[in-house]
Amino acid sequence: MIPGKYRSVSGRATNNVNCGLHLVIQTSSLPEKNKVEFKLHKETPSFPGRLLQHDLERNYSSRQGDGRVISPSPRNKSSCISSTTNVTELCGLEMKTTTSSFSAFGDSSIQTPSKSRIRQGCHSAGPNVSGEHINLVSSSMPSFPILQRSSEEKILYSDRLTLERQKLTVCPIIDGEEHLRLLNFQHNFITRIQNISNLQKLIFLDLYDNQIEEISGLCTLRSLRVLLLGKNRIKKISNLENLKSLDVLDLHGNQITTIENVNHLCDLRVLNLARNLLSHVDNLNGLDSLTELNLRHNQITFVRDVDNLPSLQRLFLSFNNISTFESVCCLADSTSLSDITFDGNPIAQESWYRHTVLQNMMQLRQLDMKRITEEERRMASVIAKKEEEKKRESHKQSLLKEKKRLTINNVARKWDLQQQRVTNIATNQDGKDSDSPSQDPCQVDGSTISAFPEETGSLDSGLSNALQGLSVTDTYLVEVDGDTLSLYGSGALESLDRNWSVQTAGMVTTVSFTFIEFDEIVQVLPKLKIKFPNSLHLKFKETNLVMLQQFNALAQLRRIDQLTVDPQGNPVVSFTLWKYYVLFRLSHFSMQKINGTEVTQNDMIMAERLFGILAHVASSELPQYRLISILGDARKKQFRYLLESKGKKPGIVNEENNDSKRLAGENTNRATLNYTTRDFYNEKLEEIKEKKKFCKTYIEDLVKEATEINMKNEALQKLWPQMFIELVRDAVIEIRNKNSYMKLCLQKITDQK
Amino acid sequence: MATEGAGNLASGSWRVELGSCAGQRMLSSERLALPDYEYLAQRHVLTYMEDAVCQLLENKEDISQYGIARFFTEYFNSVCQGTHILFREFSFIQATPHNRASFLRAFWRCFRTVGKNGDLLTMKEYHCLLQLLCPDFPLELTQKAARIVLMDDAMDCLMSFSDFLLAFQIQFYYSEFLESVAAIYQDLLSGKNPNAVIVPTSSSGQHRQRPTLGEAGMLEGVEASLFSQCLENLCDRHKYSCPPLALVKEVLSNVQRLTFYGFLVALSKHHGINQALGALPDKGDLMHDPAMDEELERLLAQVPGLVNSVTAGSEASCLPSRTPPRVGSPWRPLHHIRKVDAESDGSTEETDESET
Repeated sequence: MIPGKYRSVSGRATNNVNCGLHLVIQTSSLPEKNKVEFKLHKETPSFPGRLLQHDLERNYSSRQGDGRVISPSPRNKSSCISSTTNVTELCGLEMKTTTSSFSAFGDSSIQTPSKSRIRQGCHSAGPNVSGEHINLVSSSMPSFPILQRSSEEKILYSDRLTLERQKLTVCPIIDGEEHLRLLNFQHNFITRIQNISNLQKLIFLDLYDNQIEEISGLCTLRSLRVLLLGKNRIKKISNLENLKSLDVLDLHGNQITTIENVNHLCDLRVLNLARNLLSHVDNLNGLDSLTELNLRHNQITFVRDVDNLPSLQRLFLSFNNISTFESVCCLADSTSLSDITFDGNPIAQESWYRHTVLQNMMQLRQLDMKRITEEERRMASVIAKKEEEKKRESHKQSLLKEKKRLTINNVARKWDLQQQRVTNIATNQDGKDSDSPSQDPCQVDGSTISAFPEETGSLDSGLSNALQGLSVTDTYLVEVDGDTLSLYGSGALESLDRNWSVQTAGMVTTVSFTFIEFDEIVQVLPKLKIKFPNSLHLKFKETNLVMLQQFNALAQLRRIDQLTVDPQGNPVVSFTLWKYYVLFRLSHFSMQKINGTEVTQNDMIMAERLFGILAHVASSELPQYRLISILGDARKKQFRYLLESKGKKPGIVNEENNDSKRLAGENTNRATLNYTTRDFYNEKLEEIKEKKKFCKTYIEDLVKEATEINMKNEALQKLWPQMFIELVRDAVIEIRNKNSYMKLCLQKITDQK
Repeated sequence: MATEGAGNLASGSWRVELGSCAGQRMLSSERLALPDYEYLAQRHVLTYMEDAVCQLLENKEDISQYGIARFFTEYFNSVCQGTHILFREFSFIQATPHNRASFLRAFWRCFRTVGKNGDLLTMKEYHCLLQLLCPDFPLELTQKAARIVLMDDAMDCLMSFSDFLLAFQIQFYYSEFLESVAAIYQDLLSGKNPNAVIVPTSSSGQHRQRPTLGEAGMLEGVEASLFSQCLENLCDRHKYSCPPLALVKEVLSNVQRLTFYGFLVALSKHHGINQALGALPDKGDLMHDPAMDEELERLLAQVPGLVNSVTAGSEASCLPSRTPPRVGSPWRPLHHIRKVDAESDGSTEETDESET
């Protein structure tokens, strides 16, 4: 029997698979620390009964080579992490975690010298002595091998037993070893933990790299402090209820989907759940001593409950699926956390990642294995501040935008309703106008208006800022953005009454109307002219421009350089003539652009060619009394002057009148082409109707009187010749006797005297 | 009989008005047969008197300044010239045949250039043009006119100016007549005989033909001769103006069967009816108006200049061209044309020439 020093590879293996756990377990009793020799007994799985002895003795370096074969990839070495903590005494075993991961890697070793002799019981082959060390003897229970060690070994390594790479498929029955504290089953094929319930003093149980599917058979091991179950097939954390003093729990490389049944492990310091199937981190309360939590290589999308771990210092979340900081925001609340990794997560790709993490987790000392400098932290806080501000600003902006959008939607809906109403009325009116003009369309109007009562929202003054004087209400929207004044909804027209600052008013050169009836706009045009004297560009969208004559209304403005009429909601734009009519009617503005296209000289000539005659007819052939009634009060004076000068000397133009006329700016021969809004026009028609009624009766009376007089006159004319003849005859008869007539006359004269 | 005596206010103008309004059917002997008041009403003299007073009322301050007599003179002058309908309300424009003819002529004069430019326009666009002259012109009439051009389908189609104008003339001038015609046509289509009550003799003949009519229902429209008879009856009793019966018969005599819109198209294209109406020149001359073209050239000459020159120019142009009614008198050239065919028609409408 050659006493062998068995170098356990468990620690290394764990390291190699990135469990982040480094255990250096040294036996203080062993003088030759560095000299590592071990012997290995293997049996070929195909011949379970036979105990074959392979290279029983190997030197350290060759073993190292094997170890490397086990290790998945060299890349992982660099990401190994070690814990920096105290050294725990594990009854004679020294468990040590070193600060430096790299050095720890080299050093990490569990030296568990043991001499054991296993006897394996086997039906076919029978108990074969396996080399000089271990005898596995078939027990009375047929299926389990019974382990027996030589008393020699027992004395030498009374508290530890290593059964590494024994191709065990089941746990052997270990008899008479109740004092065992360390048990190592690494690299076997064990599917079920059993036959160890008698080892009640067991502190260290290593089942790394087996085929265990369920945690079981541990309920009696109350003193167990280190449980290594890495690289198994465990699906569920369970049956740990009695392991109250558990210090290290390694479950890496299993198939665990949720963290559960660990809340009672209040002494647990290290929990390794790397390379499992966790989708989230949760349910961690109760783990009051946990200082290191390894969750690398899972599919974690969010982390919760970490702030319930008062001692947590190291958290490894590398290579998961975390994409937002919000999903791990609980980390910010942990006061103890000093080291964290996020590399290999989507979040680490973000530009804001590092400073956001730093800003939110002031307590961190290392992030992704890099020490955090003061400078970095400062930068992070500055950036974070900026970010915060930006966020607030953009939030505000988006809030405003959203509000604006909603309002516009609302206005648009109202407008649609109104449009339907208007078209209904329009058809009604047209119908009425044609057959019975005496009907009053206002009634229809009134009833439908009451059906759609206007909501008047309150001004939201709190959200206005320097650049955007925004007042958002439910039914209309007024917005000043740079040089553009945008009005949505008919209610917005009232805003023209407001006291606009001279600066704002002066800046506005573009006025856009949306969802407003053109007739309503017409009524505020004089106001617009006064309040926004610099407005040069008018935009109309959804304003119900349907007739060419409506453009007449724009002539009263001071100046227009540009006109934009959106085809949406303005059917007039579909006419081929509309542009020319605008040019013609507003020729005194000498407009530059219509709907974005430059006005050319040819356009002007064309406009004149098309409508010049209309203007000519309107001005030269309209009777004067009509001119007067058509032109407004402002024009009246002008025309009175015209009439006067015509009466005196046509062609001589008074200077001051000429000036006043130029101020008015508009072609007089076009002035007769004006537009009255529908309502106003209807009112006027009503008025005319009244007058007509009066005129009718007046003329009727007059004519009747005249015809009566005429009839009498005619009758008289008829009678008169006869009467005359009669009179003459009477006279002749009277003077027939001259003498007697003379006498009679004389008599009369004397009588008078 | 001195009926004109009633118009104490401006007796000179009255005679003009009466003359221009004298219909073809009304002979001077008939004039004597009517009581004065009815006669005046029928000649629409009352309409104009009422309107004159109405206008006077509307602008009494201004008018009283330059003289009431002057106002009445101007008013009746403008009525004679046909310029009184410009920018007036529709109810006035359609009130008398003279107003209608004046409106048609004004429309033609003002927008002839649009037609000349060759633009084809939609019904709605023509409607807009009409509304430029009469703000409350009803869409319905324009639609009906467009139906004549487009034969009752595809209302969004483009129409040429002359097509529209001629159709519109018929529709606008004879709108009441056409409505009655439409009713008659519908009756005929459905097999009823609208003449049954009025002309029993002819109806008996029609009754026998009814079965053939039913078979012919497959064919479009109604039989022309039957339709013609019905229209004759209608013209006799119709109190509104109708196209000259001889011309209607001429239209109907050319075809065996016809549809309502076919009939209207034929009417609108018939140049005799256009002449009888007298508002527009012949179709060939629709684009022709030398006086106005001259005027337009003058206006165009001012365009290339800057705004100032335009305003100044228009100002200058405004003054001289405004006053003399004789130069731009819109009726004058037409009356010469009308005189010729009026003589052939044997109607008595020339009296008006004496006054203007």
